Amino acid sequence: MVLLLGCAGPQAEGNFIEGDVAGGEAETLNWILAADASSFGYVGYTLESLATYDNQFNIVPRCLAKDIEVSPDGLVYTITIRNDLKWSDGSQVTSEDYVYTLKNLMFSSWLNYNYRDDWEEEVDGQKVFVTPKVVNDIAFMLTRQTVQPEFVYTLYDLTPYPKYIATKYEGNVDAFTQAKEFNELSYTGNLGPYKFKEWLKNDKFVVARNPDFFLGKDTGAPFFQEYIIKMFGTSAVMQAALEAGDITYCGIEPQNVVKFKKIDRINVYTVPTRGYNIISYNQRANGWEGLRKREVRQALSMAIDKDTIAKKIYLGFAEPAYSFIPSSSPWYSDETVLKLGVAPLNNKQKAVEMLKAAGYEYKENGERDVLLDKNGKPVKLSLVTTPGSDVVESMSLLIKQELAGIGIEVEVKWVQWPTLLRQYMMNKVQGSDQEPRYNNGPQAVSEEPWDITLMGHNTDPLAPSGSRVFFASDGGLNSFGFFNDNVDALFKKIRSKNGLDKGDRKKMYSELARLISEEQPVDFIVYTRANRGFQNNVKGIEPGINMGYNYHMWRFE
Amino acid sequence: MRSYIIKRLIYSVIIAWAILTITFILLRVGPTSPVDRYILNIAAKGQDVESVKQAIEARYGLDKPIIEQYFIYMGNLLQGKWGWSFSASMPVMELIGSHWIYSFQLILLATIFAIVLGVGTGMLSAVKRNTKFDYAASFLSFIGISIPGFWLGLMLILVFAVYLGVFKTYYDTRFPIWSLENLKQLILPVITLGTGELAGYVRYTRSAMLDNLRKEFVTTARAKGLPERIVIGKHVFRNAILPLVTIIMFDLGSIVFGGAYLTEIVFGIPGLGQVSFNAIFANDYAVVVAVTLIGTFLVLFINLATDVFYTYLDPRIRYE
Amino acid sequence: MNKGLALFLKKITGPFYINRRLAKYYLDRLKKNKLSLAGLGFIVLLALVGIFGPLFVKDPQKSDFNINNLPPLGFSIQESVYDIKTDTFTTKVIAGRPDHPLGTDSKGRDMLAMLVSGARISLFVGLLATGIAIFLGTFIGVLSAYLGGWADNVMMRFTDVMMTFPFFLLLVLIVFIFGPSLAIIVLVIGLTGWTGAARLIRSEALSLRTRDFVTASKALGASDARVMFMHLIPNVISLVIVMATLSIPGVIMAEAALSFIGLGDPMSTSWGTILNAGQHSLDTAWWVAVEPGIMLFFTVLAFNFFGDGLRDAFDPKADI
Repeated sequence: MVLLLGCAGPQAEGNFIEGDVAGGEAETLNWILAADASSFGYVGYTLESLATYDNQFNIVPRCLAKDIEVSPDGLVYTITIRNDLKWSDGSQVTSEDYVYTLKNLMFSSWLNYNYRDDWEEEVDGQKVFVTPKVVNDIAFMLTRQTVQPEFVYTLYDLTPYPKYIATKYEGNVDAFTQAKEFNELSYTGNLGPYKFKEWLKNDKFVVARNPDFFLGKDTGAPFFQEYIIKMFGTSAVMQAALEAGDITYCGIEPQNVVKFKKIDRINVYTVPTRGYNIISYNQRANGWEGLRKREVRQALSMAIDKDTIAKKIYLGFAEPAYSFIPSSSPWYSDETVLKLGVAPLNNKQKAVEMLKAAGYEYKENGERDVLLDKNGKPVKLSLVTTPGSDVVESMSLLIKQELAGIGIEVEVKWVQWPTLLRQYMMNKVQGSDQEPRYNNGPQAVSEEPWDITLMGHNTDPLAPSGSRVFFASDGGLNSFGFFNDNVDALFKKIRSKNGLDKGDRKKMYSELARLISEEQPVDFIVYTRANRGFQNNVKGIEPGINMGYNYHMWRFE
Repeated sequence: MRSYIIKRLIYSVIIAWAILTITFILLRVGPTSPVDRYILNIAAKGQDVESVKQAIEARYGLDKPIIEQYFIYMGNLLQGKWGWSFSASMPVMELIGSHWIYSFQLILLATIFAIVLGVGTGMLSAVKRNTKFDYAASFLSFIGISIPGFWLGLMLILVFAVYLGVFKTYYDTRFPIWSLENLKQLILPVITLGTGELAGYVRYTRSAMLDNLRKEFVTTARAKGLPERIVIGKHVFRNAILPLVTIIMFDLGSIVFGGAYLTEIVFGIPGLGQVSFNAIFANDYAVVVAVTLIGTFLVLFINLATDVFYTYLDPRIRYE
Repeated sequence: MNKGLALFLKKITGPFYINRRLAKYYLDRLKKNKLSLAGLGFIVLLALVGIFGPLFVKDPQKSDFNINNLPPLGFSIQESVYDIKTDTFTTKVIAGRPDHPLGTDSKGRDMLAMLVSGARISLFVGLLATGIAIFLGTFIGVLSAYLGGWADNVMMRFTDVMMTFPFFLLLVLIVFIFGPSLAIIVLVIGLTGWTGAARLIRSEALSLRTRDFVTASKALGASDARVMFMHLIPNVISLVIVMATLSIPGVIMAEAALSFIGLGDPMSTSWGTILNAGQHSLDTAWWVAVEPGIMLFFTVLAFNFFGDGLRDAFDPKADI
């Protein structure tokens, strides 16, 4: 009788409201024009990419029909998509759309996709794009000329534009930018669990349940009528809203976690994140010359106690970091890295001895001895950073306190973000008329002298070699001037056919992590944990670093 | 009179133009640039910052010389084309069109609240001078002008929304403007925004009323046997009102972008205050200039309207 | 020049001290207002604390993370630190200590020292910015009134432009572009806040201009400058003093508001900066927000009481 109803899953009801602070709002839904992560995030609610990752970094296919096939020589990637994907006008999503998006949009010169570098390779000194080609309706392939084992991770994020709409605007940047279909995501068909409903800037982004969602056929997903992202002007009010039950989910600041954990109605999940902090030591000619010595850098890092930072600034929601590979990464290995800054290598006395061994003297000065430089003057290091973040401010002052513990005076300089970028991080060879860049080679120096800066960074646990922007000699963000042939060689090896074998790659990462931790061009400080607060009637959550991967299965109960 | 109004209108246009130019110059010539926001994102992903920067600038016409950009922009403005907001990815006019109502309702209600309650209390205070009511009103109004608005807002939310649960912690745009729910959720923001002015009006009205109560025409009116209600309400008040109008108008100008913005931030009301300040932080000059233009015209209009209104209030005032 | 300055100063203070009866008269009127005196008392106390206080307290910039988040003496708070490995919290009870009577902030800086140095900063910002604004306003107002005609027109139109420019928006714009330092904030507030003073003073000066003593002065051969400085200005001085006193709280609040939205000088320990940092920890470190909030409130209140009393004292029509 009535039992002829198909799916016996949970009913779809209620609105899921996520809280976010004003600065995190997306810039555009026309994702190919965006440079901020939020924009891609917003679009993702309506368009699934080829695949995503669960908390253990297993590949979970979405638009892919099966995992990407890589040829044995690592040069050809074959992608097969599902055959039940449709655009809003009912037409099928084919590999034509994907190839068109790559060739005519992302690789085009009239559109200037911000992340085109991910799809380029260097051949004979020139930068060329990989070659996409349609195989059949549901399969296409990408051919490279050089091997890059981690290229596959870029592929998983690929999302298509509909060719039948994009051709209308092809060649005309203005028209493309202002195209209604793209700014209102009206083409997304069954490609996502939700469909765009409305977006009132600075207020809320609303998507409505998509009953046609291709993953919803068997499961009935998603289970919320609407998914809403509500913007708040201050985090204090956002957290008050969570407490009052007016929103379903938001991030919780470390000092408020205890309070929220005590509230029955709310579940707080403490999860690892991709974020980490580093202190970079200026090894270019306009920093303190001691920083160009490895032993000195090691000594400084030894003096900065990571547990103290984790406890005092993050209230325990952070773990010490020793390399650019987080512990959640499949490439992480603990054994070989040099663990400076935690016991037993956090002994300030030992740090002092190391400095003395490196040829520096101390002078008595009241209760604490002061470190002298080669000219007999007390060492004074400048720490340059931007104001505005309480964490950054605290960390700067804590570093100052820690280094004072080994007799080094630190002067904290607060400059605005653009000034930091232009006058401290960008550099060029003095006297030349080079265009300043973040890394103009070993002879380049920045406009203003500096010794230390604090930087926050997001790493990709699956493809940590992305961090080569910091540590390779031609790394685009190598503003602190670290040039090491062994490190360069290893990065190159990973991104070549030698890295194809996963076992080999892990060994190479291990070696790289060890090398960099010994050289200490930067001091890796901590990997942070995030606290995510949910009303306790939300079920289906799997806490972890990628806990959002199955959000379409979440429901109220 | 008519020539006066025309002269004032011409002045208004010139003033508006001056302000627009200053705003444009500040935003475009300053050391900050719209690209600053993404530079680290892009560099961190290993992309070439310079070429991305050039691409973004070319896309939004930012690579032309400043003078050219200025004239292009002014030309477009005159034609009613307010441009594209790159930080919000929508036409500026649409952005403003979808947000202005929230600011407007907040400011209007707060002003009415402040005027009605403030002037009313002030009048009563003057009539009942030196009674407990008077002292209480005075004292409370001092407190009212001394509390920082953003602080008051935060406290109100914590007490009434979190602790007591009477109101929602944030403003929900789901409710139509002309609905009871919308009115309810505007209560706390209106109190926050209006308290400062309200306190000022209480004090001002009180002292203006007291000034006039001593005047001769009051004794005359009383001697004529007019009921006290009419003496106060009609005669005394009408004389006090002129400078009060000046103050109200001045306040309006100042809360439009100051207090209203802070209130919008605390309560999460998506009005023009939020829009304009987010645009400033993103160097989105099209939006900032547009919002400034609106504010400027609003103030100029109110000034002119008030000056004209004066002539009705006080027949002795004449312009040529 | 020096002789002229001395004479000028004497002219300002002169009326009060040559005519002791007049001075005493004003003082008596002032004294009758108890609240006003209380306000003055608080201000004097604050000034003393601001000027001499830093000598007696610790260094407000010295941070010590070993003693961060200490509650004030007599209070205790629970501090929980999370342990990732065991997924549990270790909770300690921390009590206030006598060597940090008002507690410490999240970076271990002594609250008492910060509040004292904050007093210095708030007063400094308030006085300096107001000083600049009032000086400019008085100067332009008097000059404009005296010169009249074409010059008056131009200056007043310029004043209109400045007045119409949304003040807070301009403030945010400039601070955003040129960086949040106290110096810039003071300058911007000073250079944009003079319009009200200019207008009021100009109208006072205009009415004075027609008075006999000015005509007499000119008949005696006094130069324009002399008439302005020696006669007009001293006569508007009471108005200026009242305006100045009543503007100071507004300036202090504007600086606090700027800090609240993140544009304050992060290295300064002004009350606004401390308050802004404290709003995130209302549950766990409430004193960081409450203490500067109280200071701000009472300071603004004190200036309002005192300024109000001053105004009543100088106003011949007010019935005290």
